[in-house]
Amino acid sequence: MFAYIVRRLLYAIPILIGVNLLTFMLFFVVNSPDDMAVSQLGEKYVTPQAIAAWKEKNGYDKPLFINGAAEGAGAITETIFFTKSLKLFAFDFGRSESGRDITTDVSTRMWPSLAVALPTFIVGIWVNICVALLVVMFHATRLDRWAVFLFVSLMSISYLFYIIGGQFLVAKTWKLVPISGFQAEGQAWKFLILPVLVGVVAGIGSGARWYRTLFLEEANQDYVRTARAKGASEISILFRHILPNALIPILTGVVVLIPSLFMGSLLIESFFGIPGLGSYMLDAIKSQDFAIVRSMVFIGSILYILGLILTDISYTWADPRVRLS
Amino acid sequence: MKPLLLWSDALVFLLVIALVLFFYQLRRDPLTRERWAQVFSSRLGMVTFTVILTYVGIALLDSLHFRKALDAPVAAADQQSVTAEVFYDNQVTSVLDIMLGGMGERFERTYSAPFALQSFEKQNMKNAQGRAIRDFPPLEHAGQHLTDPQDKWPDVLAKTLVSLLWGLLICAVWIAPQWLWLRRSPHPWYASWCAQAVVICLGVWMVSISRYYHILGTDQGGTDVLYQSLKGVRTGVLLGTLATLIMLPIAVTLGVMAGYFKGWVDDLVQYLYTTLSSIPGILLIAASVLLFQVYIDLNPDFFSIGMEKADARFLALCFILGVTSWSSLCRLIRAETLKISQLGYVQAAHAFGVSHARILGRHILPNVVHIILITFVLDFSALVLAEAVLSYIGVGIDPSMGSWGNMINGARSELSRQPPVWWTLSGAFFFMFALVLAANLFSDLVRDAFDPRSVSRRSQA
Amino acid sequence: MSGHDTLPMRVTDLEVALVETGEPILKGVSFDLHPGKIFALVGESGSGKSVTSLAAMRLLPDALAITGGAVHVDGQDLFELSESTMQRVRGRRVAMIFQNAMSALNPVQSAGQQVAETLRLHTRLRGEALRERVVQLFAEVGIPDPQSRYSFYPHQLSGGQQQRVMIAMALACEPDILIADEPTTALDVTIQEQVLELIRQLTQTRKLAVLLITHDMGVVRNTADEVAVMYRGEIIEQAGVEDFFHNPQQAYSRRLIDALPDLTQFQTVAAESPLLQLDEVKVYFPIRKGVLQRVVDYTRAVDGISLSIGRGETYALVGESGSGKSTLGRAILNLDEIAGGTILFAGQAIQSLPRKQMLPYRKKIQVIFQNPFSSMNPRLTVGEVIAEGMVSLGLGLNATQRQERIEQLLERVQLPADYSQRYPHEFSGGELQRVAIARALAVEPELIICDEPTSALDVSIRAEVLELLQQLQREFGVSYLFITHDLSIIPTLAHHVGVMQEGKLVEQGSAEQILTRPQHAYTKALLASVPRIDN
Repeated sequence: MFAYIVRRLLYAIPILIGVNLLTFMLFFVVNSPDDMAVSQLGEKYVTPQAIAAWKEKNGYDKPLFINGAAEGAGAITETIFFTKSLKLFAFDFGRSESGRDITTDVSTRMWPSLAVALPTFIVGIWVNICVALLVVMFHATRLDRWAVFLFVSLMSISYLFYIIGGQFLVAKTWKLVPISGFQAEGQAWKFLILPVLVGVVAGIGSGARWYRTLFLEEANQDYVRTARAKGASEISILFRHILPNALIPILTGVVVLIPSLFMGSLLIESFFGIPGLGSYMLDAIKSQDFAIVRSMVFIGSILYILGLILTDISYTWADPRVRLS
Repeated sequence: MKPLLLWSDALVFLLVIALVLFFYQLRRDPLTRERWAQVFSSRLGMVTFTVILTYVGIALLDSLHFRKALDAPVAAADQQSVTAEVFYDNQVTSVLDIMLGGMGERFERTYSAPFALQSFEKQNMKNAQGRAIRDFPPLEHAGQHLTDPQDKWPDVLAKTLVSLLWGLLICAVWIAPQWLWLRRSPHPWYASWCAQAVVICLGVWMVSISRYYHILGTDQGGTDVLYQSLKGVRTGVLLGTLATLIMLPIAVTLGVMAGYFKGWVDDLVQYLYTTLSSIPGILLIAASVLLFQVYIDLNPDFFSIGMEKADARFLALCFILGVTSWSSLCRLIRAETLKISQLGYVQAAHAFGVSHARILGRHILPNVVHIILITFVLDFSALVLAEAVLSYIGVGIDPSMGSWGNMINGARSELSRQPPVWWTLSGAFFFMFALVLAANLFSDLVRDAFDPRSVSRRSQA
Repeated sequence: MSGHDTLPMRVTDLEVALVETGEPILKGVSFDLHPGKIFALVGESGSGKSVTSLAAMRLLPDALAITGGAVHVDGQDLFELSESTMQRVRGRRVAMIFQNAMSALNPVQSAGQQVAETLRLHTRLRGEALRERVVQLFAEVGIPDPQSRYSFYPHQLSGGQQQRVMIAMALACEPDILIADEPTTALDVTIQEQVLELIRQLTQTRKLAVLLITHDMGVVRNTADEVAVMYRGEIIEQAGVEDFFHNPQQAYSRRLIDALPDLTQFQTVAAESPLLQLDEVKVYFPIRKGVLQRVVDYTRAVDGISLSIGRGETYALVGESGSGKSTLGRAILNLDEIAGGTILFAGQAIQSLPRKQMLPYRKKIQVIFQNPFSSMNPRLTVGEVIAEGMVSLGLGLNATQRQERIEQLLERVQLPADYSQRYPHEFSGGELQRVAIARALAVEPELIICDEPTSALDVSIRAEVLELLQQLQREFGVSYLFITHDLSIIPTLAHHVGVMQEGKLVEQGSAEQILTRPQHAYTKALLASVPRIDN
């Protein structure tokens, strides 16, 4: 088990290097610092001097990989690859194009993200499981068919409409909560309720439908027939046999998302004005701040890989049949 | 008139030809035919397929582009009357625009509600006596034929009835040959005919009423919302198909190679897709689109008209979506190939000394086609939905190109107006919802028919 | 109807039909169970024997429905009970054990908990008393170290132990009636015998009325008191077991009985020049461990096998699942890499040849696989399947010649020539296995490796396929390496027999010698579990 985790962590290194190289290619080779300077400065102010000044200010005035002009180790370190890409491994994200310290921004902004994403995640799974269980109880009836149709319909609505509709109904028409905003202390829940609600409702369609399939898959297993032959009632079969078995794929399937909860949700945060990492990314995209995008790509990848490792660990914990080696 | 072939037009027609050939090829295989028969043996399958085909039809009509010849300018006529040069409109028109009877050319000043006769916003104007007043100005293209605004609803009703009659007539002409041809078919074609009839009647109604009213109102810029929604169809359908199509060759090649050759090939492919899928998708897409936008901005000479620029960005988006999303399909195909490689018929082929290329082509590829098909229909609706989100973030379709995402993006704060402007969002909502719902329901049926797991479940029962 | 009250279970005119089409599956099945007696319901797949047992428990899948008849337990018609009353009957009065114990047990509950659940449902036992009762039951069904096995999960138990847990679960509430649906089919023969012995013993001690459902005449012969043969949803013959085996009334029953081995007639050994010689062949699979996944050890799937097969001879390689016999077959075909030893084919070493150099030998060594359904590409017609080898090995035939040859081959394996245009899914397992034989014959091989070619087939079809293989051997002089776990088919088929256990050949010799005078203890154990007609 220990050896396994160590091996997975070691395996994460080449992946992160791959991610790093890919983003480097994307941001510096495909799109040279000159191009970036031009688009940042705007067409009007493009002069060779302005470009050089911009590059110098933002630290893009070095060669990409090898600096022939520098002495000794400087040939490697005084390059864009070293200063902009490799330093990510040391969690040194540098400054954004607008001059802010990215590391500070990230560490302050991840908590509001988590405050929205974590409740959405937990409540969402719980609601989906409950709804799916309810539907499975009425399996092969008219109710079941209509429920599936409803799930598919819910899935077919764009996430944007859930947010817009939620804000319009709950906040504007009924005036139950503020439309948007965030507060760290005190009445934080007032601002959190609506985004969480919207996130949960938007997920019901696909979530409940997926869990229903999982439940039904388990309901077709031989051991369910054995339980029936024992004389167990349908309800107790559902809760004592089907549910624990179906929870294995459900839980292990969502574990991969847990670390990524820190990243927050782009759409929810921007609509509800929550100062988290999601809206941070969106602002970076909109203002074409590549330094932030690059850092977030790196952080996101680390969290995803962490999620994969946690998934494997959760298997051993949830499923007695699995032993890692 | 000068036909204009945008890159995406060319691709979409190639795509249609390829799909038709592909399905024609599939028909030879009895197993596949049986499964398609299962999909179409349900009324739901028929109806959803008809709806999807309608959307595809609209998209195809909207992909036949041309530029209108401009009337020779009067002033220049004397000097250059000798030259036969014709000037073309910078505005690109499609066959769909013609069929809609100029729906897109009836602009108002700004917002107007569905079926309204007056603008949504007050404006300073002069009344009959020449005194300045502030009131809702009348619309330029709505209810011009009415003498009394009171007659509006009776007029709408009358025109609806007339157009319905026309619609039914067209239905009769359209469906009768199908009936003669297919009446003995075991499949529930009547469900499809009902859907076709509804679509035709609705189409005729929309075109004929839109000459007199704005059915879904107008947006901030005064464009007809219904027209915009219809223009969004092409974008949605094309994005959903092209992106998947770009992803397919990558995913299939890598997946099959990894599953078949195992060893270092497998390690490499696994490394590639783990790396790619570990990058948050939306960031990768956003970054790529932004970078491409920088490229377009820096090279404006490549594109002679604005439409071509928008089209290039659209294709780039399809390409980026395709390149960033192959990992899940690749994973599925790798797993399936691993499974198939262990089966008797591949082992037997090895025992016969059949070459690797032939085993891949004859034994493995045909047996993973069902996964490709399921992914194709499943991803379609996901991509249509993704377009809206990407356009909202600002890394989607070029704002000059009509799309539902851009409509939503432009209208997101309209609900908070007093009174709320609900029609722009509704237009985008309904057109998108109908397509995605039909695609989702259809993909469920396809999966039920083709997924071996559900097939075995059925045969056990 | 006075006999009702004394009988534990009486099934009368039971009818079951498909819900969707109304097609009848059971057409009026009737029989009685008696305490202390085992009633065997025999039939091939699709005959309706399992449906009978599920219908009696009212556990039919949704696609099937009971359309008539009655099942009386102690005079009470089960079909008249409400579902909740029925739940008190299941497990309490009538208990059931299923075929594949591994999948029939809940994988995430410990074995003890699952047995305890039955007790909890039907008795007032709780806490420590409950646990003790379970341990006691485990001991009764012969599970070693019952205390600690209580908390084992099903996957940690062996196949035989899993089936014992199932039996403990079924017997927990001391039911009067036990329905056993193919209880030993998934088990290796030696384990199979032990489980059957346990069922026999419990029937006696507990005065159980047992309904034993099986396709295996050997099991019936050794276990049952009374037999009923099912064919297409009907019981066509019913008799006491001695009576049945010595004097079957129906031709179909006769055929089933004939499939049992006759251990008095053997193939005479034809001393021929050796075609295939294996010398110390080893196939190892690495076991990797630790952070760097270093190879710490090897699974010795095939561990130094030496044998020799003559021309026109059949060599039967016998062993239980996991003994490495299929791996050896794959190694000969050069589909698995060998770790050591030599394989001589007609005097030439062919081990580890690259693909190109292997091609001439591919023509001479062919293979038939166990599962006929997965051994043919569902997207190709039968004709294309048979043609594949001819094309890839370049037999130098043009299209029309190939088509002619395909038709000849199909006729040779007793299939109509026009089958070549059809697709595999239109055929039954037996027909497909004939196609597989035709495919192998197409390249005129000298040796065919038959990897359990009949184990997926029903008994009556099995005999036909074996007969065909023998005819072809006489006709073309082809040799067979016949890999099987089923000793009963050996006497009619094999000249030589090798017994494999854990990658090693523990004993080999002529068929007669192995089957009549086994030396090794493992061979003896295998033989002891083979049912015979002659005793």
